[in-house]
Amino acid sequence: MTEPSANTTYTIGIDIGGTFTDLFLWSSEGQTGTYKVSSTPQDPSVGVMNALSAVAEDKGLELRDLVATIRTIVHGTTVTTNAVLTRNGAATGLLTTQGVRDALEMRRGIRERQYDNRYQNVEPLVPRRLRRPVKGRIDWRGEEVEPLSRDDVAEAVDVMKSAGVEAVAVCFMNAFADSSHERAAAEVLRSQMPDAYLSISSEVLPTIRFYNRVSTTVLNAYTGPVLRRYLRSLIARLDDAGFGGVLLIMQSNGGVALPEIVEGLPATTLLSGPAAGPRAAVAFAEPLGTRSCLLADMGGTSFDASLVAGGDVALQSEGEIDRLRIAMPMLDIATIGAGGGSIGWIDASGLLRMGPQSAGADPGPACYGRGGEQPTCTDANLVLGYLEPSFFAGGRVELSPERARHAIEAHVAKPLGLDLEDAAAGMYRVINVNMAHGLRQITIKRGLDPREFPLVIAGGAGGLHACTIASELEIPTVLVPRTASILCASGMLLTDLQHDLVRSSVGQLDELQTVAVRVDELVAAGSAQLRREGVSEQDEEHRVALDLRYLKQYHEVTVPVEREWIDHGNLDAIAQAFHAAHDALYGYELSEEGTPLELINVRVRSIGHVEQPELPRIEHGDGDASHACKGKRRAFLPHQGAFGQVGVYDGHALRAGDRIDGPALVERTDTTVFVTSEFAVHVDDHGTCVLERKEPSR
Amino acid sequence: MTDATIDKVLVSIIGRALKAITDEMSMSMEKTTRSPILCEARDFVTGLYDAQGRMLEQTENLPILSFSLSPVCAHIAERFAGDIHPGDVFFHNDVFTLGNQNNDVAAFKPIFAGDRLVAWAATKGHMADIGGAVRGGYNPNATEVWQEALRIPAVKVYDRGKLRKDVWDLIFSNIRLPIVQEDMRAEIGSCTVGERRLQSLIGKYGIERFEAHKEALFEATRTMMESEIRAIPDGVYHGESKVYYDGRTPGSVYTIRVKITVEDGHITFDYSDTDPQTDGFVNGTYTSSASATILTFLQMVDPNIPHNHGMVAPIDIVIPEGTLLNAAYPAATTFGNHLCPPNADAIIRALTPAVPERVTAGWNQLLCSLSTGQHPAKNDTYVDILFMGLKGGSGATSDCDGYDHIGMIDASGGVLDQDYEMFEQMTPHLLLEHEYLQDSAGPGRHRGGLGVRTRYRVGGEGTQMVTFGDGDVEPAFGLLGGGDGTLNRLELRYPDGEVHCLESKDLVTGVPAGTEYLQLAGGGGGYGPPGERPAEVVHREVMDGLVSVQAARERYGVVVDPETLELDEEATSRLRASSGSR
Repeated sequence: MTEPSANTTYTIGIDIGGTFTDLFLWSSEGQTGTYKVSSTPQDPSVGVMNALSAVAEDKGLELRDLVATIRTIVHGTTVTTNAVLTRNGAATGLLTTQGVRDALEMRRGIRERQYDNRYQNVEPLVPRRLRRPVKGRIDWRGEEVEPLSRDDVAEAVDVMKSAGVEAVAVCFMNAFADSSHERAAAEVLRSQMPDAYLSISSEVLPTIRFYNRVSTTVLNAYTGPVLRRYLRSLIARLDDAGFGGVLLIMQSNGGVALPEIVEGLPATTLLSGPAAGPRAAVAFAEPLGTRSCLLADMGGTSFDASLVAGGDVALQSEGEIDRLRIAMPMLDIATIGAGGGSIGWIDASGLLRMGPQSAGADPGPACYGRGGEQPTCTDANLVLGYLEPSFFAGGRVELSPERARHAIEAHVAKPLGLDLEDAAAGMYRVINVNMAHGLRQITIKRGLDPREFPLVIAGGAGGLHACTIASELEIPTVLVPRTASILCASGMLLTDLQHDLVRSSVGQLDELQTVAVRVDELVAAGSAQLRREGVSEQDEEHRVALDLRYLKQYHEVTVPVEREWIDHGNLDAIAQAFHAAHDALYGYELSEEGTPLELINVRVRSIGHVEQPELPRIEHGDGDASHACKGKRRAFLPHQGAFGQVGVYDGHALRAGDRIDGPALVERTDTTVFVTSEFAVHVDDHGTCVLERKEPSR
Repeated sequence: MTDATIDKVLVSIIGRALKAITDEMSMSMEKTTRSPILCEARDFVTGLYDAQGRMLEQTENLPILSFSLSPVCAHIAERFAGDIHPGDVFFHNDVFTLGNQNNDVAAFKPIFAGDRLVAWAATKGHMADIGGAVRGGYNPNATEVWQEALRIPAVKVYDRGKLRKDVWDLIFSNIRLPIVQEDMRAEIGSCTVGERRLQSLIGKYGIERFEAHKEALFEATRTMMESEIRAIPDGVYHGESKVYYDGRTPGSVYTIRVKITVEDGHITFDYSDTDPQTDGFVNGTYTSSASATILTFLQMVDPNIPHNHGMVAPIDIVIPEGTLLNAAYPAATTFGNHLCPPNADAIIRALTPAVPERVTAGWNQLLCSLSTGQHPAKNDTYVDILFMGLKGGSGATSDCDGYDHIGMIDASGGVLDQDYEMFEQMTPHLLLEHEYLQDSAGPGRHRGGLGVRTRYRVGGEGTQMVTFGDGDVEPAFGLLGGGDGTLNRLELRYPDGEVHCLESKDLVTGVPAGTEYLQLAGGGGGYGPPGERPAEVVHREVMDGLVSVQAARERYGVVVDPETLELDEEATSRLRASSGSR
């Protein structure tokens, strides 16, 4: 490692999780560093500063001196997510069209568990008494049916003021087609409630589908004051420490934006935490010559699966948080209740299940010896020989094999009539199947074959399950990056500025002049935001997509289109792109029938490209990994269904080009990789463990 | 096969994998269909069955459709024995060969491992039209099946992967709306998804292991269901409920009578004493009635039980032909699915004394309208089932309030409201109101779920409405001291001021533009004495406008100041004390 020089500057990614705050640092000389400190949930900005202090200490610098050399901090935050999950958001009111104030709470009348009569609806973010009806009506074409009642708006203001409302959402019927009523109401609110945080549906999400819009607009209002307070506190702390660089906030869509921009659209940060992972994952896959990969992130309680296809992070145009709809482009992520802390149990029919209940970090798995008595995935991994009791989490936690054995014996082995090791092996298999299911959801849902993607593993617990999940899905290649345990923080440094703009424009697609006008408006708005963020014109890019469907269909396909097709009125090119996309997703298309196309939304993604650091390289070796071999350990070999002796390697001692034939265990301080006998591993130039299946898939 | 060769963990894995497959089939269906009844409301079911038609797993968005797929699958396997090949696709809706309802049309696809038939994939949804005398189905004047629908007994539409164009054209020449063809293509696509995934699963473990572990899965599930049934004291239990108006004779009333025998982990539902069939369309089919029985009972057992053959094995259902719940050929039966709510009521009433903590109070019964007409601005014909309007509240349980606006027990929250703005795009109507209905919930220690009030202004031309359902005569019943929910109601207010209250089975043509449609879907029944409901909970609901000041006082004994909406604790204590435990 070269010593930092006087001119060294740093770029930093910070990811706040439930347990740890991860920091990834990149120096202008190409050096990297990773740091982990405890999170501080009461004010997460304290954890951010603690992480920076840890860096300063490590570099032998005063905090001020370190901070002065930081050019950019990219930050993923869970404050908005947590505000929703714990119902600690702002006191929020809703102004909505008279007659539909309950749509927010009804959620289209769904009960997700049909046979469970004790399953309750979710508490709405705005209580009914603060959902205020306003007379006035726009119809489906955007024409006024009834003028807006200013008296109703004034009355609503009185009610909300006396209830101490801090944030107001405004969502009127068909405002996507004409927003004049919403704008008039907003004007009154601005003058009468100047301190309130305003969230106007035609500004937040000018698209058709009332429930989607009202739910998203309310989420935006509910989290607005929380995010604003947090960001201002963080900025104040950074200013105090002398920070003169740029702070960027990670958004759910995988891009970053300035704090003052996300303050206006806090709903774009509801999936900020995990959103950077896929970008990092594909950076580690690129050396293999592919711009596509699957990402599996396994932590203590959950397993998150996401996807990058052809360099683009897979997004969904709408998702949910705590059963509440959020209709904004966000990372398409499948979350399964499977992690190191997942508890093994026997159901009423006598069959083994794993999770979704988790022992979490406290009390944690039985082997932590912190009072946990239920057998967890980590306990099974210990019994199976995959974990070294004195080397877990870099030796921070001493594991007790005795406690693990006892818990599995009592709660799994005995009830199933199995011996201890068979029971642990069963737990391992069941959780692998659950995790494989998460990856299937994310691929097969889009008509993609998981076997065609390399699988990138993140999270401390992922490396032990990588090969078996890959075998389950017949995936030939698995990558475990050096930064697997803090992948999201490292991915933040690889993201561009990004703004997703959308506007409904409903009608049969028979001319493109109106579309061209819409596109120009959206591009101008996107450009303006990027300009505020200091992006120069040559670094900006605008991608246009249309949400199209066959006439009479209900669900749209988002089709990327060339801007010149629109400018030149090239309807054919657009139609062909749509037919092809429909065929790929759903197995048929109707070009021969001549079914007309219907346009629903126009989308523009405005991207400000930022300079991205290159992945650091590690020293090359001679291909012989034996120098890193620490010895052998007895471990369970899933394919053979029996225990065997397995070589154990020091992951930090491995050099680029080193090869190991499975079975083997590669131990690093923050993660252990189990290479099954079906796989061989080699280390690439960036220190990534590349696991490859020895024989072709069946 | 001995027990020793069964890998219990593999049983779990196979069970999980089967569920993942039927979920994927469901997703494919939701994304590709065109009728809002399917893609917005999810009125469909997907499933996998073994070679003999025994259920492997299902995804039951609308459970009332669900439990006829297995019997029909067995019927097809037997009828076409020796003539079933890879690439075949069968269609079926016929209610006299175990279909549940004419409009619910299923696609079946056999699944092969090598040349051995190992399983079936099936998808069934409610089609927007199925021929017959009335657009969209639901002909309240029908007296025999041909006036209701095109009968599709099991027919092969693909033979070894090749479309039988003549058969296809015969079917779709008898159905009004072209989207039905597209939606049946979507069903086939969904079955293909199931076929591919199951083949890959079987390929991984080998057919013999798969078969052995499938049997073990059935056994494990059967054991679980038997132990659930053993939690009900052995005995014979009786329940009954009324069905009002058969669509032909005003004031007509029929009775459903069920005798439930619980004995040693086995349960029998015997409907032999139920009234005879009607001469109209208010008649059940065997499988619609059996589905109603099963889905109601599933709400009284552990909701985590896997849905396969083992789950239904300990359940026997006896419904003699010729009764209201199993009409004989060639009866009209389109209403049959909607006999589920009264059927459920009879079962709940029967089992309440045995397992009061497992039942709910009465659910709001379905009352529904289907409107069709011309959308002039779009130059198109529309068909709309007003799902948002029909969904009332569920009954409360011993420790939970009912679920608001969940809809009929046959769907239990699996079918969804149309989105309001999509409704205004797809129909020429203007939505005026869709909100919780004040005071609709049956009062109780735990209240019933709230009903809703829906109004829209009719637009367009040639508007015609069909209504079907119940719940306008008898409300959802309260349980163990709880009060009843409110009644359903449908009204048309014509532009000239005339108000027409619709019957529960009605056909109204020539509804002029400007007419105001009003629908009240009632609340569910309450559980336990209302006097035991905490005053502050009642007070909060008064502040939210869900309970009126008057109802708070009269039903709950909770006094709230009508001006300030403040709770008067002293007056409440006095009132509650003076009225005893109420």
